[in-house]
Amino acid sequence: MLNKVQQLGRSTISSLERLGRGHLFFLQLLTALPTVLLRFPLLTQQLFSIGVLSFLIIFVSGLFVGMVLGLQGYNTLIDFGAEESLGVMVALSLVRELGPVVTALLFAGRAGSALTAEIGLMKATEQLSGMEMMAVDPIKRIVAPRFWAGVISMPLLAAIFSAIGVIGGYIVGVGLLGIDAGAFWSQMQPRVDLGEDILNGVIKSIVFGVVVSWIAVYEGYDATPTSEGVSRATTRTVVHSALAVLGLDFMLTALMFGE
Amino acid sequence: MGMSNSTAPLIEIRGLTFYRGDRAIFDNVDLDVARGKVTVIMGPSGTGKTTLLRLIGGQLRPDAGTICIDGQEVTTLSRRALYQLRKRMGMLFQSGALLTDITVHENVAFPLREHTKLSESMIRNLVLMKLEAVGLRGARDLMPSELSGGMARRVAMARAIALDPMMIMYDEPFTGQDPISMGVLVSLIRKLNDAMGLTSIVVSHDVAEATAIADHIYLISDGKVVEHGSPEQLKQSASPWVAQFLNGEPDGPVPFHFAAGNYLDDLLTEKRDVK
Repeated sequence: MLNKVQQLGRSTISSLERLGRGHLFFLQLLTALPTVLLRFPLLTQQLFSIGVLSFLIIFVSGLFVGMVLGLQGYNTLIDFGAEESLGVMVALSLVRELGPVVTALLFAGRAGSALTAEIGLMKATEQLSGMEMMAVDPIKRIVAPRFWAGVISMPLLAAIFSAIGVIGGYIVGVGLLGIDAGAFWSQMQPRVDLGEDILNGVIKSIVFGVVVSWIAVYEGYDATPTSEGVSRATTRTVVHSALAVLGLDFMLTALMFGE
Repeated sequence: MGMSNSTAPLIEIRGLTFYRGDRAIFDNVDLDVARGKVTVIMGPSGTGKTTLLRLIGGQLRPDAGTICIDGQEVTTLSRRALYQLRKRMGMLFQSGALLTDITVHENVAFPLREHTKLSESMIRNLVLMKLEAVGLRGARDLMPSELSGGMARRVAMARAIALDPMMIMYDEPFTGQDPISMGVLVSLIRKLNDAMGLTSIVVSHDVAEATAIADHIYLISDGKVVEHGSPEQLKQSASPWVAQFLNGEPDGPVPFHFAAGNYLDDLLTEKRDVK
């Protein structure tokens, strides 16, 4: 019995310690921003491998999500004779919710897991240690550019996702189901608000970008330097990112649209 | 380079104590590394030889004791000063620790690009000179994954000497090498040390290779220095432990069996060990 209590205490303390280390690490990432900006080539390289290489999966997913929204929305709206509002429905769902959330989930799976595995393996093969011994700070040289590239990429990818999704909805709604194209676009125009809808969506995607990138690089940096440790860290990145994104999404939505 | 008192040891370690959990990795260890010499640290696996290099490099902080390198106390240095000091230290990790996403040339150029503002042609020439010194100028466009283990270590050597350090630390440089690359590494460590006026610290448990290049050997076991001296002095040592280690005898002061209860009792008891 006492053993169980001890164990509970020990695991609580160690997870609190980990949380604390994670936040200190976050602080180091934030203060590394000037260094990252000064060494711009390092950042652009990561923007390419994190952002540009995620483009395809975002593009395809956005298209399909938009097309499904078009189909489902049409089936529901036609009962009320409101199928002309399909454009508004598709655009608002994407810009407010699905764009940032689905992009963040895909981003965690595509780029986050890769980041964790890469940094974890660099640690396991002593590359990070070696860098420290060459008087090069691995957080500034390796981790921070990846983190900031993730933070920059995420809102851009979410914007692309939403835009492609609207086109997907258009293809299904107008092309397939025969809604009037003029109605599709003209209803969207006045009813999607720049501040209320788009800006809030962008804020969401920035928050998700920070959280997912932070989780990914920290899990990699803090991984146990063995193959098993790296594989567990990669799993944790995807699971924790997904939970954090969905939880934060609820909180942000409640704050933004909840009155 | 700090040549102020060239007879004093480059590294002076006094009363070094380091714990991992409750286990003392080092217990009040004194150790000197003489300038310009090759000092070999030997001991059984798991005695913290690599930990010693990390303590010297300031990646770990000791629980007690002092580590003085060229007049600077590593344990109390600020982060900035420590990084300045590390530019004058080279370290060769067991795996080589090359950056896997860039070529051999870029790996050797890495410290030069990070710490100097040399022109591209100057960097190229320096890299070629360092690679020529380890015999791998022709391998400059290969990726680290295309190198054999021995070649990777030689590239790591070239990278470690890129900034012309005052000292270089080798972590198990001979482990897992075939006889030829072993021979190459042995002669390289000696040659680089003498030609570049380095001070070398080699951590190893390969007795033959280590005694071949050592000017001075420290034997460490159970957190203490068991014996030290020149290779000849060690061979004359009266300690049975030293003899067992140097000759690689399977049984002796270090028993073959890990501590265990009575063998017969163990076999006859049916009950499973409950943890």
